[in-house]
Amino acid sequence: MYLSRIFNAINISVQEKYMTEILELNEKTKEFGLILTPDEVKNMMVARNKVLRDYGRVELGIEVTKELIEIFSESPYIHEDNYAATLTELHEIFYYLRNETEDKIGDFKLISMMKEMFDGECAGSVELLKSRLEEFAENFRSESLRESLFEGED
Amino acid sequence: MEFENDKERSGLVSRSKIKKANLRRNQYTISLLNEGLRAGLLTGQEVYRIQAGLMGILQDLIRRYTQGESSSVTSETAESIMASLLYAVDAYTLQFINPDQAVTELKTGNIRNIYEQGLELLRRLFEETKQLYQEVKKNKLDVPVDAYNMTIDESLPIFMKKYGIVFDAHNTMASIDYPLAVDDMRLQGVFYIRQYLERLQMETRFCRRFDRRDLLDLLTDYGKVCRFDYRIELFNIFELVLNNAIFSILSGGDAGQIRISANQYNRLQRMFSRLNASQIAAAIHQAMERLQHEMKTDPPLTDYMNQCRNNLIQRVINAANHDSLETVIIREKEVKTKSIVLLLNEADRMSDVRLRRLLDEMMRLETKEEKVQLIRDYFSSLHDYLDLLDSGCLYGDEYEALFATFGDMELAIFAKIVFYEELRADFLDFQSIVAAGKDDESEWKMHYVEFMQKLSDDRINAIGNLISDIDYEEIRFY
Repeated sequence: MYLSRIFNAINISVQEKYMTEILELNEKTKEFGLILTPDEVKNMMVARNKVLRDYGRVELGIEVTKELIEIFSESPYIHEDNYAATLTELHEIFYYLRNETEDKIGDFKLISMMKEMFDGECAGSVELLKSRLEEFAENFRSESLRESLFEGED
Repeated sequence: MEFENDKERSGLVSRSKIKKANLRRNQYTISLLNEGLRAGLLTGQEVYRIQAGLMGILQDLIRRYTQGESSSVTSETAESIMASLLYAVDAYTLQFINPDQAVTELKTGNIRNIYEQGLELLRRLFEETKQLYQEVKKNKLDVPVDAYNMTIDESLPIFMKKYGIVFDAHNTMASIDYPLAVDDMRLQGVFYIRQYLERLQMETRFCRRFDRRDLLDLLTDYGKVCRFDYRIELFNIFELVLNNAIFSILSGGDAGQIRISANQYNRLQRMFSRLNASQIAAAIHQAMERLQHEMKTDPPLTDYMNQCRNNLIQRVINAANHDSLETVIIREKEVKTKSIVLLLNEADRMSDVRLRRLLDEMMRLETKEEKVQLIRDYFSSLHDYLDLLDSGCLYGDEYEALFATFGDMELAIFAKIVFYEELRADFLDFQSIVAAGKDDESEWKMHYVEFMQKLSDDRINAIGNLISDIDYEEIRFY
């Protein structure tokens, strides 16, 4: 439809701007020995756009991507060789979780929770993080369903 | 297309490059951009700048929507917010009579300012609409028509309460059941509700000028003609009143009258069968003009009445051709004295406790004869019977045994309930309706239909004749 056409058009035009903003973050992540090349950023953004489309979401701006980079770069389990690939997977997990928790948890809280699990019980395993968060989402949904039944929402 | 304010009435209209046919009332601004681009009034670059501006506003709105918690939303939410945003921009662009002017505004203005001004227009419009609603509510007709009453008392307040100009401007929010005589369903949101209320107010004011007793009788007679309970049906009161007022004039009555006597009806019937289509049209035209003149209708009402005219002409021509004028001209029905008094009063209903006790007692009985005897001894009101039948306490042939104890009148009352849709839908005779049977998930209704189908034709016809004597006002369906 008309709207998605505009979204795409706008996205293309600001691609450059996003690229610069993300590359600027290298300054901060350098201290952990983590650097993204322009090619890696480009691939990551392509993957992120695909994930957004697949999950039927619209995001104007790249706050989530920047937040993921800043928070996860501090993780002891992320190294230079798995940095870009992990970030791509984290995007996928994040938007999956965003949909599954029915937009009831804020961006920052979700990312912090992911980070905590990733560094803690998952010990840096993205696979484990995925399955833990699937469980979490399921519990969250049945919990909120119970609450809404209890409140007798119309 | 309806343009609201004539802020700008430019002489350039004739030289306009914009083809109005290419513009759409919904998504007006988008169609303006497309058309402006096509006509060369806008460059691709300019359209792009406007779109980027809209996206910027959308981004802020999404943040406001999630209260800063999330920077992404589902596509549906984004589209809905975008639609609301464009609705406000449309409110701004629609005020220019000349679309070229609107294009210029978009081209040279700051889109954020345009949006803010659109919001302000909506805010004012919404306030005016609330005022208008209060007036409509105050002047409401006192008629037992559910759709009319519920729309004013329940649906419209939902709109007034829930409507939001920032995120829901394009939503109509409430389901409005009562049909207007002329309605523009292409409108949405507050534009729609404002128009709905304006027209409802006009219709109501018109109806108020007739005698209330006459109006109530007209409704009752209309229900009898259509063989339905007018209180729960969807129809427009104004149209009914207007048509009869016209018929009154055509049959020598007063303009302020809606009662059509049997004599007047005969006169109309003779007249319409004599005239050809264009003569009928001319006669109705003339009568409409006289009505407007004598009632001193104001221009908006006059215009509105004229919009109803062609529909009436068409209906009269069709009815005259098919010899069914009695469905269009609602004449006075004589009041029959009711020979049978039924216990249909809500107040006669037994208490729930007593009903439950009787049902328990009945379940303990062994034979169907005993059960039926108990029912006939203790149940008298229709409501109690319906409760009993709906409770599912009877099985198989017990239903038949019960129905067998009913007289024709009782069976006729149940027919009115079971075959409600069939009876009102067309003019099939009762025997064919029974023979056709029906699919209904309710057990007792299926048993009732089976029982009826086994009766002799004579008895079915006798019951069918009684049905027309039953007044729906006596039966409450829910």
